[in-house]
Amino acid sequence: MATYESDHELDDSENLSYHHSSSSSSPSRFSRISRPLIESVRNGWQSHSNISYHSLSPENDKNPRWLQMTLSVVAAPRFRRYVVVYVTLFILSWCGWSLFLRPLLQDRSDLLHSLDPASKSESGGWFGSNSLPKFDDLIQVRTLDPDLVPMAPLEGVDAAEWKSKRLIVVGDVHGCKEELVKLLDKVSFSEEDGDHLIFTGDLINKGPDSAGVVDLAREHSASCVRGNHEDRVLLFRHEIMSPTAMTEAEEVQSQIFSSKELKERALARSLTDEQAQWLEACPVILDVGFVQGMGQVAVVHGGLVPGVDFEKQDPSSVMTMRTIDLDTHVPSASHDGLNWAKMFDKHQSILHTSLKHSNADPHSQTTTVIYGHDAKRSLNIRTYTKGLDTGCYKGGKLTALVIQDGGKQELVQVKCHTNYSKDE
Amino acid sequence: MRFPVPSLLGLYGVLSATAVSLVLGEGEGEVTGLETQDQPPHFLSVRPSLAKGYESEANIPTKKYFTESSFHHHYDGRFANSTLPEEKVIPYLSNLIQTYLETMNSIGAETWIMHGSLLSWWWNQKIFPWDNDLDVQISEPTIHFLADYYNFTDHHFEIPGVEGGRTYLLEINPNYVVKSTKDRLNVIDGRWIDKSSGLFIDITAVRPDDDKRKRGYPEALMCKDRHHYDESDIFPLRDSYYEDVPVKIPYAYAALLAEEYGAASMTKTDFQGHHFSDESKIWEKYSRKMKRILRRAWRGDDLPKRSGTEPLIRMDDV
Repeated sequence: MATYESDHELDDSENLSYHHSSSSSSPSRFSRISRPLIESVRNGWQSHSNISYHSLSPENDKNPRWLQMTLSVVAAPRFRRYVVVYVTLFILSWCGWSLFLRPLLQDRSDLLHSLDPASKSESGGWFGSNSLPKFDDLIQVRTLDPDLVPMAPLEGVDAAEWKSKRLIVVGDVHGCKEELVKLLDKVSFSEEDGDHLIFTGDLINKGPDSAGVVDLAREHSASCVRGNHEDRVLLFRHEIMSPTAMTEAEEVQSQIFSSKELKERALARSLTDEQAQWLEACPVILDVGFVQGMGQVAVVHGGLVPGVDFEKQDPSSVMTMRTIDLDTHVPSASHDGLNWAKMFDKHQSILHTSLKHSNADPHSQTTTVIYGHDAKRSLNIRTYTKGLDTGCYKGGKLTALVIQDGGKQELVQVKCHTNYSKDE
Repeated sequence: MRFPVPSLLGLYGVLSATAVSLVLGEGEGEVTGLETQDQPPHFLSVRPSLAKGYESEANIPTKKYFTESSFHHHYDGRFANSTLPEEKVIPYLSNLIQTYLETMNSIGAETWIMHGSLLSWWWNQKIFPWDNDLDVQISEPTIHFLADYYNFTDHHFEIPGVEGGRTYLLEINPNYVVKSTKDRLNVIDGRWIDKSSGLFIDITAVRPDDDKRKRGYPEALMCKDRHHYDESDIFPLRDSYYEDVPVKIPYAYAALLAEEYGAASMTKTDFQGHHFSDESKIWEKYSRKMKRILRRAWRGDDLPKRSGTEPLIRMDDV
């Protein structure tokens, strides 16, 4: 009896051709396709009954029945389609969970746990419980003249009589005077019209014209905070200017100091007394005070540890921190770890929520920190923290945060075309 | 020893005068007759001449220079036979570091505190009540300077409440010229010794790590005690106070402490049987009651205990 061969039986015939002839498979396949179909019809049940009835191919003999069944289910085209769809869906949702949702929830719960006063005893204490050391020639906190701070327009005051005020807070300049001039132009800075300029530190070093930037800042009677670069250069200057110091020959210096130290020492020496005095007067923390619509505002260079008073913040950490330890709240200059701003922001938003019910104006109790220092994270704007260092001296941008009456905020940036870090 | 005797005597007089005037607030120098004949060398005035060679790596000393006493490793056996009574240790250490800092300051030698002393400064600018040693470091030009001009100098100080004052000895390990960390017997480069009690401060020199600098770390520093630093972690030094006298502090003190002792060292308020009081800002010894509570919590010995000594008898034995 002649049977019309199905796909499987065609496979059989192929297998058979391996067994029966020594010729390679490709000519036989070719000849089979080129032959009329009728020639494929044969009395397969007669000559190879054992093969066609008992198994599909010789090696399948070894597979157990359940595997055969699975294979045949998988072979069904509709099933395959669904498998592909469901596997893709599963992978997508798993990726979404593990790459996005789970870290987000984990972060949230870590932060909440970290800021929970109950976990303070668990870790043995938090940063800020020591008796803060005293440092010579370093001002910890200074309060900004309240007359310079923008207010909400009062009702009943004639618009013509109302003198609006702005605070222009500029990120790390690093001696890029040209770019600073451009930025001040762009925000149409004018002291006469009630503008006040504030720097987040690191005005000097690395870039082309440190002294020029300091002079410009002094001309505009700007405010500033002490950055780590001001800190180092001023400390070196103290050492150089101390009565026991003496000037050393260039070649002796280059033997003792590394090139980084040599540059800082050269800058320290090049500053005039007036420039140095102006920089010395920059506090570690500038307390801007209450800004209508924003709450309490502070300017620092690096950051602040949440829950610690300004007077008790460790000055070296305030000038250098980038990350913070979840358990102990110890800040670090390291790039790797939890961004201190994230923790500070969460701390303030928890505070805000808890004050909502008891306080008519919860914003008056919260603190917003404007800072620089972290060019790697670049612009980093959250509700209660504003990171403004956009790496101008590396050819990035120079950023200003403009705070207007009523706490309205606006970011203004200029591009910095020269990468001065290449000259190093 | 190779220092000229007259200049040393003159130096001694000048130093005593400065030291006494610093402690008492008025100049009451000792009469030596020779003082101010030779100006004492000032650190920075001789600094350019301090570029020096080192012994080669092959000549690692086989003898330890500084030895500790048989009774306690923080006492110099040449000056004492026994330890001080416990309550006297901290006042002695306090005078020890005060006189050291005053002396280094007056001769213009660059020195700063490190390790445990830096940690105690962080907490309240005072020596830990459980401490019995102090750690200071000096820069490399300074060790040359001290070895050349101030080795084996006595420094006498009038100390309020101490009759006759105390004399301190500055001694530099001659093996300071061996730079290799393989010299494990002489990791301490100098000592400031209280000759009345045998207590001393270990002085370690911080030097450029030439090997590491060649490998592309231009700021690498090292000590013979195998501590490694970055130049910008230590310099520029900061001015602060320790035991009520001016002291220099390494630039990145918090980072150095976190690296050496872990972040918790700056936050944990319970340590060595003491609690850092939030009000007094002092490490207070646990009271007995407090100790009992803590011991209970730790050892769980508040569990009920069987009275009497007879063994348990199983019911089915009866």
